[in-house]
Amino acid sequence: MAGAPGGGELGPAAGEPLLQRPDSGQGSPEPPAHGKPQQGFLSSLFTRDQSCPLMLQKTLDTNPYVKLLLDAMKHSGCAVNRGRHFSCEVCDGNVSGGFDASTSQIVLCENNIRNQVHMGRVVTHELIHAFDHCRAHVHWFTNIRHLACSEIRAASLSGDCSLVNELFRLRFGLKQHHQTCVRDRAVLSILAVRNVSREEAQKAVDEVFQTCFNDREPFGRIPHNQTYARYAHRDFQNRDRYYSNI
Amino acid sequence: MAVAGSWQPPRPCEVYRAEWELCRSVGHVLHHYYVHGKRPDCRQWLRDLTNCREWEESRSAEAQRSLCESEQVRVQAAQKHTLVWALRQRPPTDWNLPLPQEKDK
Repeated sequence: MAGAPGGGELGPAAGEPLLQRPDSGQGSPEPPAHGKPQQGFLSSLFTRDQSCPLMLQKTLDTNPYVKLLLDAMKHSGCAVNRGRHFSCEVCDGNVSGGFDASTSQIVLCENNIRNQVHMGRVVTHELIHAFDHCRAHVHWFTNIRHLACSEIRAASLSGDCSLVNELFRLRFGLKQHHQTCVRDRAVLSILAVRNVSREEAQKAVDEVFQTCFNDREPFGRIPHNQTYARYAHRDFQNRDRYYSNI
Repeated sequence: MAVAGSWQPPRPCEVYRAEWELCRSVGHVLHHYYVHGKRPDCRQWLRDLTNCREWEESRSAEAQRSLCESEQVRVQAAQKHTLVWALRQRPPTDWNLPLPQEKDK
């Protein structure tokens, strides 16, 4: 693994509040992505060329990761309403978004979400937290292992730790590097919202890693790209036939 | 398992084929190595595809049994770890409550 994550896009210094909104600090923000904007034909991937609400709507309408999560949440009794459950806000620091369990709302930091691709990943990440909140008694504020578990799942299943994203962060690794990335980003996420030491955060991640890394709901697999996400959605829609015939 | 006579493969045969082809793809080999540190084993998808087609052609009981067993192994593998949290019986009661600022209006 490359050395400790560096660069200006990590979480804020210890003690600095993140999601700067009323009653902040109760959510589970996604640590900001790394990498520098590129020019040329890739520039459209790295420029904030649409408003947060527009990018959010496009994500909700077309992103296969998000469409599966929305279906799964509806199936679990937590139908998502864009106006109620999402909020585009200007956030302090460089966090990209967060899930506020006290209000059942996903906050999207419009000043830090760079482009449509990034929006898709942030929404996926936060919806995974919302999905966990919907299906389980997650003690977000009182059990660091629960928080660690949801962060492991979000880092693993949202595309946060894809090979391409890690390369953009200048973190080079191939063999089993995905797991290293997931552990590291889960620790960063915990440190972003909890006043705990890095050692405590790492301990919590290590204790629950095997269980939570292998909990791939609702995808049933790690969706490495949109093809995997579409296959996972297909399987979700087929689940009645599946379970009645095995 | 569904009642004999009403049973069908858990997945359409074309899905088994799609999964086998995805598993064998260069991209998946890379992704699998990136996650697990080793190459994927795609043989079971091919066995499942073969059994699915055999059942479609001849309603083979052995093909049906093999398919069910294969999928049960997949389900058990996915469920072998004890969850760190308790699952809910019902969704959170406050999921759709008005936001605090809206309640004050």
